[in-house]
Amino acid sequence: MKFLAFLLPLIFWSGGIETAPALKQAGIERIAVASDKADAWRKAGFEVVPMAEAELTARTKLLPPGAAGRPGLAAATGRPWVDANGWQFTRNPTGKFYYDLPKGRAVLAVAESSAYNGDAVLKIDPADVAEVGKMLAFLKTIPASPNLPLIADIGVIDDGSKLVGEVMNLLSRRNLLFKPVKTPSSQLKLNIQLGTKSYPKAAAADPSEFAQTVRRQLTDEARMIRIYGSEVVVARLTGDDKRIRLHLLNYGRREFDGVRIRLQGVFGKSEALVSGHGKTTLEDFAVIGQTTEFSIARMSTYAVIDLPRAK
Amino acid sequence: MDRRAFVRLLAATPLSSAFVVPKASSRNIPNYKLVSPYKVAAAPGIPGPYPGKVISVKSANCLDASGDHINAEIVAQMMTRGMTELTGDKDVRDSWRRFIAPGDVVGIKVNVGGYPWVISSPEVVNECIRNLMAIGLKPNQIYIYERFQSQMDEANYQRLVPEGIQIHAAEGRNERADNRRYDPAVYAEASFFGEEDTRSNMMRLISQRLTKIINIPNMKDHGATGVTGCLKNIAYGGFSNVARTHQHGVTHTYSFVPTLVTMEPLRSKVVLNIMDGLRGCWHGGPFARTKKYVFYPKQLWFGTDPVAQDKLLIDVIDAERKRHNAISIWDRNEKTLDFINGRNRDKDPNVNIIIREPAHVDYAAKLGLGIADLKQIRLKEFEI
Repeated sequence: MKFLAFLLPLIFWSGGIETAPALKQAGIERIAVASDKADAWRKAGFEVVPMAEAELTARTKLLPPGAAGRPGLAAATGRPWVDANGWQFTRNPTGKFYYDLPKGRAVLAVAESSAYNGDAVLKIDPADVAEVGKMLAFLKTIPASPNLPLIADIGVIDDGSKLVGEVMNLLSRRNLLFKPVKTPSSQLKLNIQLGTKSYPKAAAADPSEFAQTVRRQLTDEARMIRIYGSEVVVARLTGDDKRIRLHLLNYGRREFDGVRIRLQGVFGKSEALVSGHGKTTLEDFAVIGQTTEFSIARMSTYAVIDLPRAK
Repeated sequence: MDRRAFVRLLAATPLSSAFVVPKASSRNIPNYKLVSPYKVAAAPGIPGPYPGKVISVKSANCLDASGDHINAEIVAQMMTRGMTELTGDKDVRDSWRRFIAPGDVVGIKVNVGGYPWVISSPEVVNECIRNLMAIGLKPNQIYIYERFQSQMDEANYQRLVPEGIQIHAAEGRNERADNRRYDPAVYAEASFFGEEDTRSNMMRLISQRLTKIINIPNMKDHGATGVTGCLKNIAYGGFSNVARTHQHGVTHTYSFVPTLVTMEPLRSKVVLNIMDGLRGCWHGGPFARTKKYVFYPKQLWFGTDPVAQDKLLIDVIDAERKRHNAISIWDRNEKTLDFINGRNRDKDPNVNIIIREPAHVDYAAKLGLGIADLKQIRLKEFEI
């Protein structure tokens, strides 16, 4: 079986050579280091990508991914604020990105960049080395798959503006699956072009409300994916006429016990690969009409589910 | 109800309507999609064989002078009197046999949100268990359940009940992280405020394990429903993801609480409602962390009709509020609202965190869950 090693996110490491044992113990074998330190790290047995700090910061900077609650509301909605970068990878699949990550945020960033197959370099806090190593080891267990096309409900005509970017951000966080398109596509259920009569730019001034409007237009029933049991798990979906691959990223700070997924389409039963748990049975699997539902028993940071389309 | 049956109760709620307190006459009721593979029983537990009938048993001696300690012997007498007056039997075991068979698996739905002062009293729960065992149930056929284990740990029913009684909770804490003990095949789906997770699932214990449920709510005020009575206790105490119905001073409990109670198999399995009014709370509910708003009705109510009990409960709570010069639970004045800082509500009984919707009880009657017309409710009061 082939694995995804060639897509593993790259760790930018500014620590001295004396930190090599810690990296090795964590299973981190490939790093980006300053050019003048590259030879020393190669001699220490690492696969090295020489990279100056300026080269790193010339890349597009991403947010440390995660979620924060909204304290202070006596009757809070329970919907936390999610910082996610999936829309950036989706908008610019050939882009070069980097993360500058505070302590405790690296593991999710590793998973995120891998889920979106992004070219990302991650500057991490040394305290996170062991956990990052575990996530990288998990990524190596994910079977290789051909470059499956992105599955989306919505086409967003991208004019390159910040406003459209913010719309993409909100759509992504709400699991309203989109893909950037140059012109409206009849293959998609909905096409959004800001500045048109249907979608005036003023309507996008509040991206959150705009995303709700799009959701109402699309309807929940028609959405390719719904996620129940969490407001902080974000999906990426790829596939063709034979199979799909579903990536699930948990932006919250703790595991969810029993996240329920509903997919449009009829699929055969399979298993999930879940970080920290390995192969996991899909619980309460059910085909209901033209939809398929199942639960992930323990939703840690990252899960990958390959499902065959039923004939 | 057939699986995936679609129930359209009234007009749809626009998602953007969340930030205006609706007038009572113009509430929007969301589209509810109710999904359950379970059919209604031939004789559903709600409203049961005694619609509109409520037995009240009072005792001045059920609490000590401080109100802190419950007299278990008096509670046992109150329970016996209440059950026999409800059914008309001479032997209390015959009364219990009308609702429970020896082969049943019984869930006792407690309410522990009002810990430490206003919870389903362990003495009342224990007397229920004693009666169930007297008609042949084994301890392992009896469950005490709530949604959150952290609350059950505080209440600590284990210290009083016989060994072998099952203590069950669906979630560890109120953090929306534990979903596996909810049934993915039984849920009510609706969008209230544009939330992403639009489902509320029934506890698996209810749908898959229990055959009968005894509901033991308290006489409590509630910031959203007006009262935490029978309906609220089995609805929001048996389904996931229900707090989403409140936001920015507005609540959809008016329709959602009764709608959840209509869901099978819950409605068919709830056969008895015993309102624990030994102590009550007239403000700050569903919580009662201090005695500031605690009062002492010193009574238990018995019946099968949750609507009738809750209708009477509204007047009990409102009368107590009136006695303290607090605004009525029916007050819809937006000036009373402070949904930013819940502590202000705790300090001042004239502050609301939500405009309460006690008329959910009348809506429940419209859905056939019982009798809300005070002229038709038959309250019989006894004192021992």
